[in-house]
Amino acid sequence: MDAVLALALKDLRLLLRDRVGFFFTFFFPILYASFFGMIFSGQAGQRSAIRIHVVDHDATPESRRFVERLAAGDRLECAMVENEAAANDAVRRGRVAACLVLPRGFGARYAHPFARGLPEIELRIDPSRAAESGMLQGLLAGALFGSVQDLMTDPNALGAMVDQSLAELDQAGSQVDPLISGALRAFLPALRAFVERMPRGAGGGLAGAMEPKITITPIERQRFGPRNAYEISFPQGIVWGMLGCAAGFGIALVQERTRGTLMRLRISPVSPYQILAGKALACFLTTVLVAGLLLGFGYVVFGVRPGSWPLLSVAVLCAAVAFVGIMQLLSVLGRTEQAAGGIGWAILTVMAMLGGGMVPLFFMPTWMQQIGSISPVKWVVYALEGAIWRGFSPAEMLLPCGVLVAIGVVTFAIGVRAFSWSDAR
Amino acid sequence: MLAFHNVRKAFRATVAVDGLSLEVRRGEVLGLLGPNGAGKTTSVNLAVGLLAPDQGRVEFAGGSPQQAAVRRRMGVAPQSLAIYDELTGEENVQFFARMHGLRGAPLRQRSAQAIALVGLDDRRRQRAGTYSGGMKRRLNLAAAIAHEPELLILDEPTAGVDPQSRNAIFENIVALRARGVTVIYTTHYMEEAERLCDRVAIVDRGRLLALDTVRGLVAAHGGHSRLHAVTERGEHTIEADDPVAELNRLQASERLLRFELERPSLEAVFLNLTGRTLRD
Repeated sequence: MDAVLALALKDLRLLLRDRVGFFFTFFFPILYASFFGMIFSGQAGQRSAIRIHVVDHDATPESRRFVERLAAGDRLECAMVENEAAANDAVRRGRVAACLVLPRGFGARYAHPFARGLPEIELRIDPSRAAESGMLQGLLAGALFGSVQDLMTDPNALGAMVDQSLAELDQAGSQVDPLISGALRAFLPALRAFVERMPRGAGGGLAGAMEPKITITPIERQRFGPRNAYEISFPQGIVWGMLGCAAGFGIALVQERTRGTLMRLRISPVSPYQILAGKALACFLTTVLVAGLLLGFGYVVFGVRPGSWPLLSVAVLCAAVAFVGIMQLLSVLGRTEQAAGGIGWAILTVMAMLGGGMVPLFFMPTWMQQIGSISPVKWVVYALEGAIWRGFSPAEMLLPCGVLVAIGVVTFAIGVRAFSWSDAR
Repeated sequence: MLAFHNVRKAFRATVAVDGLSLEVRRGEVLGLLGPNGAGKTTSVNLAVGLLAPDQGRVEFAGGSPQQAAVRRRMGVAPQSLAIYDELTGEENVQFFARMHGLRGAPLRQRSAQAIALVGLDDRRRQRAGTYSGGMKRRLNLAAAIAHEPELLILDEPTAGVDPQSRNAIFENIVALRARGVTVIYTTHYMEEAERLCDRVAIVDRGRLLALDTVRGLVAAHGGHSRLHAVTERGEHTIEADDPVAELNRLQASERLLRFELERPSLEAVFLNLTGRTLRD
């Protein structure tokens, strides 16, 4: 056992002294997980707003107020465009998501929604942009009803609207149904008197009366989804760290052969199995260390909160077993470092692609997820996510962990057998 | 101490060692002399148990080199520089000594002695990757001797090194022999074999052609010495077993102006035994 430990410590020391290898083993996965976590959670900068062009045929203070209201949040970026054809072209070429057209008369209806009805607007958008279309419709509706909100929260504006409505009723004369005219002549003065008594200033008008009274009673939802994007990106980062370990130690084993140190070790009284066990131990420890480092970083910096630490530990250990086996198998694929590295990374990259190491599994179509089952990466991601945010029970963890251990044992056995047969020269 | 008994080893159709029988005596430096591809490295691999013979057997100290306990008493400096560039010289030597079972104070003490012997004491804390080719060769040797083996096998230990490092390695080997270490020294440099080896085994195409002291080999297979003499009467070229006697005889009858004596070397021995030179 002492020889195995000495061999493992030697390999760890070699790894620590190889700056490039050290970076790609320990820091690249952290960068990967942090970068993709930021992208998915929209924290890489401001959340990207939907860009639209606005063609304002009305060009009144009210239409400008509407556009200002529309652009007030961070969801929309509105650019005023005079040339309607150019605006259409921008939509067609995908430079903006949509073109909003405000017709003449927009402002008058926007200012007096009760008397004249809400204004019509036209939204020109590519039908394939269903998500943006839906969001835009919601934002437009909110902005249009803004004028109604203004009236209800401003007693002066509401009073002015009542006065104008009475004046228009007078002008209409016999054109209005006498029954309706009578009702309005009774209601509008009463409303005017009510408005006169309404408090002015913030919270005035009908705002106070219309303010919803909502009592919030917290009931914590049972969580089945990731708390944040980092809970998705960090398992992927761990996978890349483990892939790096498998490739690195596999290539290192080939390197031992090419530079003669393997022969020297085999001449020593250490058995070939001890030599391979030393390499496997170093790979195992590094893999676990990488996973621990990433999880610690994710916990402290990005709020990754595993649902079950014990299950996560089991998942990490099983994944490490799998990648030790894969490392051993990779080491027999090429006689030179270049060959082993090239073949190894080609295989590992395909594993990562199929198994959700690049694109999260739940983004993939069902058939792709099924094909991904042949990749150990899928089971690593599945086991890690199971412990972090999928809420797996110990029984549910049995499948991914069992598959990982089986992969590790089988690939290690094949690798050892191939290694012992191909090494003696 | 180490004996090959009618050993044969083939790689598919290529016979690397063909019926090799020889015995290495305790405390001697045995040169294994032959051209590239003669079977020297395969013989070394058989001697250290890396390869099992197809036929015959190899014995070291009464056991097989394939047994770990037997290999513990051997040290090997392979032809390739089997060291880790990322480790310091000291770490390299200590690591391989540990693989041979040394621990604690003896590990540190013997590693330091080995490093001092090869003259790398002042560079022991620096990474091997920063060493020159000659220094790496010396470190390769130090890694083979730190555990104080009874048998040391040096496979082309001076390949690609500068004259200074080569001399240092020669001195190391002489010092090790003085301590009683048995050395097998493979080379295709005759000068090295002549300078260092108590006995020389000449191998070619996997077969042992001759085994004796350098003097014995030259006497048996080197052919005659050649005397070139210029006298008042002209030039003479005489081949003889005793060129000095011939020179005296010539000087008695003619006035000798100048002469040159060519004694047979291992090169001549090899040429006579194989019909080709070592560097063919």
